[in-house]
Amino acid sequence: MTDINIKKVSYLAKLKLNDEKATKYEKSLSEIINWVDNLKKLDTEGTKPLHNITEKNTNLREDTVKKNNSTEEILSNAPEKAQNFFRVPKVVE
Amino acid sequence: MINDWEIVMGLEVHAQLKTESKLFSSSPNQFGSDPNNNVNYIDAGMPGMLPVMNSGCIDKAIKTGFALNFKINPYSVFERKNYFYADLPQGYQISQFEYPILTEGFVEIESENSLKKIRLERAHLEQDAGKSIHDIDPKYSFIDLNRVGTPLLEIVSYPDFSSADEVINYLTNLRQILMYIDVCDGNMQEGSLRADINLSVKKPNSKLGTRCEIKNMNSFKFIRQAIEYESKRQIEVLESGNKIEQNTLLFDTSTGETRPMRSKEFAHDYRYFPDPDLLPINISQDQIEKAKMKIGELPNQKLTKFIDDLGLEKDIAKIIISEKQYAEFFEGLISTKLIKAKTAASWLVGDIFSFIKDKNIQINEILNKSQKIIELLQLVEKGTISSKVGKDILIEVLEKNKDPGLLVKELGLEQVSDNEELEKIVDESLSGEEENIQKFQSGSDRVLGYFVGKCLKATKGKGNPKIISDLLIKKIKK
Repeated sequence: MTDINIKKVSYLAKLKLNDEKATKYEKSLSEIINWVDNLKKLDTEGTKPLHNITEKNTNLREDTVKKNNSTEEILSNAPEKAQNFFRVPKVVE
Repeated sequence: MINDWEIVMGLEVHAQLKTESKLFSSSPNQFGSDPNNNVNYIDAGMPGMLPVMNSGCIDKAIKTGFALNFKINPYSVFERKNYFYADLPQGYQISQFEYPILTEGFVEIESENSLKKIRLERAHLEQDAGKSIHDIDPKYSFIDLNRVGTPLLEIVSYPDFSSADEVINYLTNLRQILMYIDVCDGNMQEGSLRADINLSVKKPNSKLGTRCEIKNMNSFKFIRQAIEYESKRQIEVLESGNKIEQNTLLFDTSTGETRPMRSKEFAHDYRYFPDPDLLPINISQDQIEKAKMKIGELPNQKLTKFIDDLGLEKDIAKIIISEKQYAEFFEGLISTKLIKAKTAASWLVGDIFSFIKDKNIQINEILNKSQKIIELLQLVEKGTISSKVGKDILIEVLEKNKDPGLLVKELGLEQVSDNEELEKIVDESLSGEEENIQKFQSGSDRVLGYFVGKCLKATKGKGNPKIISDLLIKKIKK
């Protein structure tokens, strides 16, 4: 059994959950994790990890600049903007 | 160290790769543009956009691999490092974790007059994040995504450093090497090279203490201050019987102190997993060989060459190799073989450096005057002009692009080496100086310098000091 710390998971995802939802998600996430845990029973000794099912190389491009999107386009979906910046609630480290 | 405490440090250096475009998008990799001007939908983390790897970044990583004695791994994998922050629009940083592109290298540094090997654990490719600006508005942070996706090579050392001097020597060497192989522009002020310092203290022969990580340092001066402050702080905590809490710290440049970063209610959990948008990188032997050909000479190789083959003093050679552009300027001066390497070197680190420092310009800005500098130094070497006059002409050449040969003729500055003429001047300088002459005859060498100076003044700096001095000795010793 793997326990889910729903407080930690929601903190890492920056999601605010009320008590009812927290209980619900804690239960369903635990179920998924425990189901996936079945894979741990397989003997993978000596098996090379498969990072991608196609087993091909990554595509490469030349190091050249193509036109980027305009500042207006980039900011067009921003809920708040100012002086060509995105404006967000204060985040200070 | 205070009461026998030893400092143990390991470094994580982030080098921004000098490429045209970003790691996974074709936006310009450029510093100093208007906010959100070098951004496309991939960088902005728009849904459905797919990253495509920049092959130039692989070449730069391979070159770094050779220069820092790394093993170059033919197989490496990009993974997602998940964390939430306003300047990371994807919600994760694409980095390498279990399968980095480079492993097990080393750099040699000078430490207390001997060579010390700093072992490197790994180096991996990753994206930079955007920039948050906190001081425009009291209630809001402002986000500029221009830096998002800038290619970084993170170079991770083993905990092999025991003093601030070693850390700074290492960073100096690393910066030089990366600049020589054209991997990084080395501009620390612009953040092209930044270091995280992991620091702990321990008593001799005891196991490692709990470490703290000082984040994002980009100035040698502040790195030294931060190491001094943090090691002292840890020693004080331990000596008063308390424990060090493992923490991520920021160095506050205004107070000279380290302080913990906020938002650490839970330890970070980055939940790495292979990025399904990117296939693994397989590097062919052919690509490795091709990148190797482009490395060129490393700073240490140049240093050896300058000292052993050209006969330069070690200290002077070190100054010349300290920046790639200095070394190239110097090699340009001597490539014609018209002047001696030693002459070129001493004029370069002397008057030419003071000139560019005074004018606050880069050496490359006087690159087009190399030919005239060579002509000038030839005139000095041949004895046509004295070095005193040479210094004045150099300024004319550098400032006004004057032709040294013409200038010497126009102003009649040829060095006077004519014995008869100089003899007259020497005689004049000696008249009425009976007291000083006696002093010299009773063994005071200083008086000779006085007379040479007097004669030079009489020739307006044009007299050949060697001949003057010989004449003086001959006359006074009589």
